Amino acid sequence: MSVIDETSKGLAAFLSQQWGKQVAIENMTQASAGARRRNMLFDAVAGGERTKLVATIVPFAAMQLNPIEVEASNLQLAEAAGMPVPHVHFATSDTSCVGGPFFITTQIAGETIPRQVLRLVEKTPGLGAKMARQCGAALARLHSADAARAHPLVPRPAGHPLETALAVSRRSIDELLQPSPAFTLCLNWLKRNIPPAPKRITVVHGDFRNGNLIVGADGLRASLDWEGCHLGDPMEDCGWVVQRMWRFRNDALEVGGFGSVADMRAGYQEAGGEWDEARFQWWKAQGTLRWGLGLAGQAKQHLDGSVPSIVLAASGRRVAELEYDTLMLLRRGFGA
Amino acid sequence: MQDRPTASELLATIADLLEGDVLAATKGGLQHNVRVAGNLCRILEREAQLGPAHEAREIALLTEVLGEPAGGRGARELSAALCARLDAGHDAALERRAFPALLEIVRGKLAIAKPGHDDYDFAGEQLR
Repeated sequence: MSVIDETSKGLAAFLSQQWGKQVAIENMTQASAGARRRNMLFDAVAGGERTKLVATIVPFAAMQLNPIEVEASNLQLAEAAGMPVPHVHFATSDTSCVGGPFFITTQIAGETIPRQVLRLVEKTPGLGAKMARQCGAALARLHSADAARAHPLVPRPAGHPLETALAVSRRSIDELLQPSPAFTLCLNWLKRNIPPAPKRITVVHGDFRNGNLIVGADGLRASLDWEGCHLGDPMEDCGWVVQRMWRFRNDALEVGGFGSVADMRAGYQEAGGEWDEARFQWWKAQGTLRWGLGLAGQAKQHLDGSVPSIVLAASGRRVAELEYDTLMLLRRGFGA
Repeated sequence: MQDRPTASELLATIADLLEGDVLAATKGGLQHNVRVAGNLCRILEREAQLGPAHEAREIALLTEVLGEPAGGRGARELSAALCARLDAGHDAALERRAFPALLEIVRGKLAIAKPGHDDYDFAGEQLR
C-alpha cells in the first residue's frame, strides 16, 4: 500500500472515532516531505460535509525534536494570542494510526513556496509592504503571549538568552572540521557587543520566515513550522525573518525579499510590540553566523557518514556565502 | 602533464551531461539531487582553474595578518593560527588588519563556490 493509501486509511479510522460518524478521506496529497515532518493535505468527508484539513506527521517517534503535543500547544498558544496560524483540531502521540505521532489542522489556501510568494507579491501592488507590516504584527502578538502558559517541555534558555545562543555558536566553531577565522572574528565581536538581556522572556517561533508562511493576495494568512518554538528574546524572531537567505535574491528587501524593516517594525509596534534596535541587529548577525555554522555542520554529517547526502555535501561549499554575509553585516565594527 | 581535456574541461562536460540529458530523464527528489550534482561540477570546474592562485593568495594574506612567515604551513594551519590569536584576547589592531584580509579570502572562495554572491554590499543594513 502506498503512503497515501495507508495514511488515508489511518486518518479515516481516527476521525471516524473522534467525530462519532463515518469519515471518508479524499484528495490526499503530500505537501512537503521534510526529514522530520510529513504534511498531508486532504478532505475529510462525513455525511455530505467536506472539511479541508492537514495532517502533520512525525514519521518516526524517535526523531521528534519536541513531542507532537508540544508543537500543537505552541500553535494553540499563538492562535489565542491573535497570531494567524492554522487551527489545531487534534493532536495525538498514538503511533498506530499513521505510523507516527501527528496533529490535524485546518487547511489554509495560499502560496508557501518562496518563489511563488515573491511572484504573487510582484504582481500585486502594495502587497509586499502590507505583508511586512503583517509579519511585524503577527510576531508582536505571538510575543505578547504569556510565556508562563507555554507547555512545560518548550525549551527555554537557562539565563541570558543572547549568551545562551552565543555559547551554542562557540561550541559549533570549536567543532568545525576546518578553522574559520572569519566566523571567529565575528563571534568575538558579538561576544564583546552583547546587549543587555531583554526585560521579558517570550514565546519565540524560532523559524518565522519566507518559506514558512501561507500567503494570499490579501496578505499573510498563517505561519507554519512550529517545531523550533522556544522561549527567549522576541528580537530573535525579528532578526531571523530578515536573513539574506530568506530573501531569495531580492536582497534589498530585507523582510523575506518582499518588504522593508521599517514596515515590519511599524507593524510590530502598532500591535504593541517593544522593538529593540540593538538586540535586533545583534540577532541578525548571530542568525547569519548560526546558519553558516549550521551549513558546516550539515557537510560534517555527510562526511562522517551519519547522513550521506549530496545536498548536505553541497552545504559545505555554501559556508563562504555566510562568512561573507556575517563579515559585511559587522564591517563597521572593524572600521571597514 | 595530463592530456586534454583538462580537469576543468572534463568537469564542465560532466556538468553539461547532468544538467541536460540526466536531468531530463529523472524526476522528483532525484531531479533536485542531479541539479545539485551539476552545480558541484561547476564549482569544481572553477576550482580547477582558480583554486591554486586563490590558495597562494590566501597564504600570503594570512602570513601578512599574522606578521610571521608561513614556514611551510598551508592555509589550514595558518587559519588555525589566526583563530588562536583572535581568541587569545581582544587585539583591536589585529582585528582591523584581519578584517580586509578575511574579506578578500572569502571573496576568493565565492569566486569558486558562488560567483556573484558578493555583488550585494549590505549598504544601509550595517550596524549603527
